[in-house]
Amino acid sequence: MLLEIQNLHKIYNNGTHALKGISFGVKEGEFLVVIGLSGSGKSTLLRCINRLIEPTSGTVRFLGKDITHIKGEELRKIKAQIGMVFQQFNLIKRRSVLSNVLNGKLGSLSTFDTILEKYSDEVYKEAYKCLETVGISEKAKVRADSLSGGQQQRVAIARSLMQSPKLLLADEPVASLDPATSNSVMQYFEKVNKEFGTTVICNLHFLSLVRRYATRVIALKAGEIIYQGAPSDINETWFRTIYGEEAEEVEIR
Amino acid sequence: MILDPELELHPQKLIANRKRKADKFNLYKAIFLDIFFVFYFILVVQRAIYYKFILNLSDLPFSWNEILSIFIGSVIIGTFWALSKTSLSCKLLGIAKDNKTTKWTVEIFGWSLFNITFIAGWIVTKISIVGLFSSEGIAGAERLFGAMFTPQFRIFDDALFAMIETIYIALIATLISIPPTLVLSFFTARNLMKDNKISFAVYYVLRIILNFIRSIEPLIWAIIFSVWVGIGPFAGMIALLVHTIASNAKLYSEAIEGIEQGPVEAISATGANKIQVVWHGVVPQIVLPFLSFTIYRWDINVRMATIIGLVGGGGIGTMLMQYQGLARWHEVGLIIIMIAFVVWIMDYVSAKIREAIY
Repeated sequence: MLLEIQNLHKIYNNGTHALKGISFGVKEGEFLVVIGLSGSGKSTLLRCINRLIEPTSGTVRFLGKDITHIKGEELRKIKAQIGMVFQQFNLIKRRSVLSNVLNGKLGSLSTFDTILEKYSDEVYKEAYKCLETVGISEKAKVRADSLSGGQQQRVAIARSLMQSPKLLLADEPVASLDPATSNSVMQYFEKVNKEFGTTVICNLHFLSLVRRYATRVIALKAGEIIYQGAPSDINETWFRTIYGEEAEEVEIR
Repeated sequence: MILDPELELHPQKLIANRKRKADKFNLYKAIFLDIFFVFYFILVVQRAIYYKFILNLSDLPFSWNEILSIFIGSVIIGTFWALSKTSLSCKLLGIAKDNKTTKWTVEIFGWSLFNITFIAGWIVTKISIVGLFSSEGIAGAERLFGAMFTPQFRIFDDALFAMIETIYIALIATLISIPPTLVLSFFTARNLMKDNKISFAVYYVLRIILNFIRSIEPLIWAIIFSVWVGIGPFAGMIALLVHTIASNAKLYSEAIEGIEQGPVEAISATGANKIQVVWHGVVPQIVLPFLSFTIYRWDINVRMATIIGLVGGGGIGTMLMQYQGLARWHEVGLIIIMIAFVVWIMDYVSAKIREAIY
């Protein structure tokens, strides 16, 4: 097991009980998709995995190691092995695409070198390779905010690839993109998953994308897992249970 | 393992518990606020409106016993009012009962507070329409304006030199302020310092010190430093420097607090340490706002340097003070026109530069 989560709870300071006893495991090489309404706890779950937030109780095991409450240097080492891609891309807008990608390497270089931006030739080569993987190496020198949404998300993927991650988390990576671009960005996640064998955990909204890319699906509702299984098994009844009685499936191609 | 004993409660109960605690705390705040409101109300009505306006006393009678008895009265009224949950403060803090009494007290007491404050302000300011339009006064103003609009150009060279001195004082104060301001701004940004107790204490203490320094006007600093280092441009420069550091540290740190959190989160998710997160996630987002504030501050400092000159900070202000003391209004006119011209140019140039940066 790459990742094991047991009875995970998260209560925010304002009293919101975002996760109510989540348990599941992820095997190496899986493409796991987490679905559920906004506010069902999907983002909280991902952030508990790479410990951007600290769970209230329960355990998160990554590569057999309990990382639920680790701190400092130990936590940074774990974070460096887990890549993350966000809905809003979260690039540094005024910096070049290349320096954004190089930021992915911060966890494994010395503080002093990164402040002076002294990167070795290998690191530069690696950065270009990551950009090539997402098909955008010709844009290396332009400012990040001059790219389109889809291109920015590809840069964000390249940044996380710089970490050579064992696990790639994606928090609604296509929610602010148009349907065509969504699909092309998802194809890069698939490529990373298939070519490098990187395990992917991805929050998604559109079932058509889920059916196409996921090897397994978890559905959350109000902080609890209500469905776990193959994407093809989500029928009309399950769909209504997950998204509520009034929901109707919207097709995106 | 359960870290938080509260977790064993049902979440609904947990939320209700926390709300009850918050309400209780708000009630204490409401009691204090209400006592203050009532105390203020009675004092203003008694002293400003009754003594000063109605009885028209020039020396107000003062006794601690009287004030103490008003205070005790306010404590009683304020406490009961707040405890009945129908007072103004209860409404402000969102714990008031939703009934007619609340509505009436809030409307009537709220309006009365505003009105007596305005009336008291009017009385204290000694607003006098007669004084503004007296023929004597208008004649004096005419004489001054007339002299100023026919400036004396004989002193142009001296004035120009003094003006340049003023601009340099402002420039040096602004430039020297940049490094200390930069350092301070990171330590006074809440979002960077709130994570652990020690850094939060540093944040808090620094904020208090900076607020204190900022609350003292550059004019006062100039008086202090003209005693310390002697009258002249150097005293003016240090006065500006001190005030610039304190106010720009606040502006800078607010810029840091206002950055997009997303990129910062993304950088910290790559396993970067605190220094790297600040350098690669925070700094690129704030360089331009910092530059913009600094240029704007130079513009402000030119104006302030003029004022500081009035108390011996050197430059054009000192010159203005000398001619004003001699009542040579034609010379004063020239100096004022020069100041206005330079301030206008600085304003325009700094606005253009700031526009170009963004």
